[in-house]
Amino acid sequence: MDRPLRTRLETRFADKLTGPVRQRHDQTEIRIGPGDLIEVMTALHDEPELCFELLADLAGVDTGDHMQVVYHVWSATTPDWLRVIADGLPRDNPRIPSLTGLWPGAEWMERETYDMFGIIFEGNRDLRRIYMPPDYASFPLRKDFYLPDDAARSPGGGVRHMEQTVAPVQATERVVRRTVKA
Amino acid sequence: MTALNRSWGNLTAFGKVILPLLLVVLVVLPVLAVLFLMFVGPWLMDVLNSNLGIVRFVVAIGGVLLFSIPAAFIIIYMELKVIAYMNLRVGPNRVGPGGAAHSLVAGLKVLTKEDFTPSSADVVVFTWAPVLVFLTCVMTFLVIPFGPGLVGQDMNIGVLYLFAVGGMTVVGLLLAGWSSFNKYSLLGGLRSAAQVVSYEIPLTLSVVGLILLAHTMSLNSIAEQQSGWFTNWFVFRQPLGALIFFIAATAEANRTPFDLTEADSEIVAGFATEYSGMRFGFLFFAEYVNVFIVSALITTFFFGAWNAPIDINAIFAMVGIDPITVSLDPGSLGIGLVLLVLSVPVVMTLVFAAPFYLARRSSPAWQSLVLGFLLFNLVAIGGLFMLTYISWDWVAGLVWFMAKAFAFVYVFVWMRGTFPRVRIDHLMGFAWKWLLPAALLNLFITAAAIVVVKSL
Amino acid sequence: MTASPGTGQHPSMDDPRIMLDGQIGQFETVPPYPPRTERESEFYSLRDGEMFLNMGPQHPATHGVLRVVLKINGEQVVDLDPVLGYLHRGVEKLCENSDYHHIISQVDPLEYVSSLFTEWAPVMAFEQLLDVQVPRRAEYIRVLTGELLRISSHILYQGWIALDLGGLTPILYSFIERDEIVEMLAAITGQRMLFNYFRIGGVNGDLNHEFMSRLGDWMSRAAKQHEANIGLLNENEIFVRRMRDIGRLDRTTALRMATSGPNLRSAGVPYDVRRAHPYSVYPELDFDIPVRGTNGGGDSLDRYLLRMDEVRESLKIIDQCLHNMPDGPVMARLPRLLRPRPGRAWAAVEAPRGLYGTYVISDGTDQPFRMKIHDPSFVNMQLVGLLMKGNLIADTMAVMASLDPVMGGIDK
Repeated sequence: MDRPLRTRLETRFADKLTGPVRQRHDQTEIRIGPGDLIEVMTALHDEPELCFELLADLAGVDTGDHMQVVYHVWSATTPDWLRVIADGLPRDNPRIPSLTGLWPGAEWMERETYDMFGIIFEGNRDLRRIYMPPDYASFPLRKDFYLPDDAARSPGGGVRHMEQTVAPVQATERVVRRTVKA
Repeated sequence: MTALNRSWGNLTAFGKVILPLLLVVLVVLPVLAVLFLMFVGPWLMDVLNSNLGIVRFVVAIGGVLLFSIPAAFIIIYMELKVIAYMNLRVGPNRVGPGGAAHSLVAGLKVLTKEDFTPSSADVVVFTWAPVLVFLTCVMTFLVIPFGPGLVGQDMNIGVLYLFAVGGMTVVGLLLAGWSSFNKYSLLGGLRSAAQVVSYEIPLTLSVVGLILLAHTMSLNSIAEQQSGWFTNWFVFRQPLGALIFFIAATAEANRTPFDLTEADSEIVAGFATEYSGMRFGFLFFAEYVNVFIVSALITTFFFGAWNAPIDINAIFAMVGIDPITVSLDPGSLGIGLVLLVLSVPVVMTLVFAAPFYLARRSSPAWQSLVLGFLLFNLVAIGGLFMLTYISWDWVAGLVWFMAKAFAFVYVFVWMRGTFPRVRIDHLMGFAWKWLLPAALLNLFITAAAIVVVKSL
Repeated sequence: MTASPGTGQHPSMDDPRIMLDGQIGQFETVPPYPPRTERESEFYSLRDGEMFLNMGPQHPATHGVLRVVLKINGEQVVDLDPVLGYLHRGVEKLCENSDYHHIISQVDPLEYVSSLFTEWAPVMAFEQLLDVQVPRRAEYIRVLTGELLRISSHILYQGWIALDLGGLTPILYSFIERDEIVEMLAAITGQRMLFNYFRIGGVNGDLNHEFMSRLGDWMSRAAKQHEANIGLLNENEIFVRRMRDIGRLDRTTALRMATSGPNLRSAGVPYDVRRAHPYSVYPELDFDIPVRGTNGGGDSLDRYLLRMDEVRESLKIIDQCLHNMPDGPVMARLPRLLRPRPGRAWAAVEAPRGLYGTYVISDGTDQPFRMKIHDPSFVNMQLVGLLMKGNLIADTMAVMASLDPVMGGIDK
């Protein structure tokens, strides 16, 4: 747990943080809004006393009432992992600027997040589905994903028992199964 | 009788039909053959004697075709087993003793597979390309001297014929690759065309030095010129040429490390991707026949063809036997022949078994008898082999030729188990930038040496 | 059968009606819809002399079910587009519906070659959420088995590379070594491949006599055997020429592409999670981080040699583990039904392919709310398109094999 890191982040990004800087075990966590992402990440990457060079992970999260994109970065200047949570993406139109300008290696991770959640990364040159077939209609890891509904609309057509819906297709309301304050 | 009845009952319906038929055929056929020979024989011999050239040709073709398939079988089995043992595994060991019938069964499998043509392929070319490949491989058998007097057609432009016919293989490979409507096949065909054509040139040039030294292009004469001691072999007079020929021949035969035409980790099966059934069998066998051919060529050109490493005639002269005049007349021995033939194995077995019997610690006695018998067999075969030099030297020549050719086949198989593949640009660079200048250098040095030696 | 599944703009690629009789033989690698992204339109447009070659999901040499679309000009690869998803099993969604103990067997098949590491990161994250202290003996056993598996994975990598380049023999030798290691691990875990050995709070069972005797036998000849195996390939002119100067990756590009593991270290960046962010008992162990390609970046040969260096370091670590192994319990006592505190946790380990991380969001119930798995091979595969520009088709295999991808992790 790196206390000086917390003060450094609080002073540097005072106006961008949408929540307190939390620390637990060996991770430090900051929350920002999606619009500030590029500025914050550029600052974290370029400034010599921050120098967060290594992008370790890019995850999408569906909290039930909104969506988040979570980044984990590492720097040689601190023993902690830094978690950057870009919070508050609306569920019906989640958009966030893409990190591929800074880290071209984020391209596939953003593709995966788009594929699983439907989050549009603006600026990603190649935002198409990566795991699911290119004509797939739903976003599997969303909390309102309902497998029989989705399978019934595939060419296989609900052949297996688990894929058969009890309600007519297209009439299923988008029910969110779980919500969390994350 | 009840055992026979039971066996008859155990046969299936099919067996009950086939077995009597087989017995009838086995009895009737020899009788028919004897009758045929008795009555038609002399007329047949007259006809054959008057057309000896054609008869010889037909026999040569038949021998070549009948030989190439079993040779391919043997080489396939060798490859599987030898590479397996190099990989610390066992290889085929189910079919036949030690898996020896594996390639035969594989050949049968290839015959019975479904033989389909891709619907967009060029059907005529697709069908005839494997035939072209196999044909050009087999045609080169015609000039290879398997033994003294055992050559299909002793042409005096034998070397030229060889390379002319062998160069047509590339046409077959290219056609096979291009006619299957498949990008992998196309790539494989193009790669193989580039490779074979590039390595033709060092191949032919490396032999030209040899031709200069031997003053002949006939393979039979080249083989005859290497008789005597092994220092007469051309490998000692043309070492660079032999090396270049060996490397270029590996590339011609599409063997590892130059097997990118069938690189199965990149382009599935290269030009043979769309082939199945007997067409694939043709391509497959053609490759192994090609391996045998290049081994045979290496032994013919550089390693003495059918000559033994030692000069048998000189040894016989030293010992005092004149091989031409000595002859065996078994008829004069009478009953003594039968006694001799029966007693020699027994006596020799006991003689050879005695040391093993006396030296054994814990093994049973019959094992020393077996060892003695095996040793006697070895010695007897060696003795008979020496004996053939007296009357039938072509047998000895054939055995030597086969041994040397298969030794080189073993070297090719060994290389396959050891090396990874080269890349296409490395391959082309090597051919054009290294082998070709080396072959030319070899040629110049040979020619210069001949001129210098002649003028001395 | 529905008429037009999907968004309705184009027929599904799974629809068998797509292959009409008149179209047979008209296969093209280009997808049957207009390009949707910039990269797609750039890739799927052909210039003069270029051709698509599809190394499809069924291929003898791609490391699993991977489809790679090559745009070639003769033998030269102009561009490359990997198409993933043929092995996608929805592991993250499955984990959301499994309780915490069950997740360990769910994540095993992700990096099936070295599956203990796929268990290690989630287990560490769960231990953070539960505030569990792992006994020291368990930590040492984790390090010991992990390093054994790292050696096995790297030796297998050597065989794979040789096989992709055409040499048939080294893979058999690699499998001999791997077989011995995997038999060792089977003695304690009961499994030869997907071990399911780590538990939250420790490991499943203690080391037993069979494991120790096998380990002793193997260790007595491991170093010499490794040198012999290396000698088979390192001095082979053909192998070296095919690997040298192919796929040169420099430091900046590697960091920008979020690479990790041996691929990053062979580009000159001395980053290893075990040293940069120590976990378990690695701070107490003495080992070096081999780094290659410090000037100008590393090529495929550097990536290969680096992994062979890492095997030596792992042998050192195993030695130290065996000497310093403390006594004690191998698992912390935990209730059957686990309900961690609501919160977020991230844990990363150094898998043989790179940084393997898990991000867990717990909502207080007995199933995680979100479990994100970061697999190193997934990110490393992006390098293939970058490193392959201008190389020949034969080098595709060399580069892909030298990056050491495992499709289970790439496709999750």
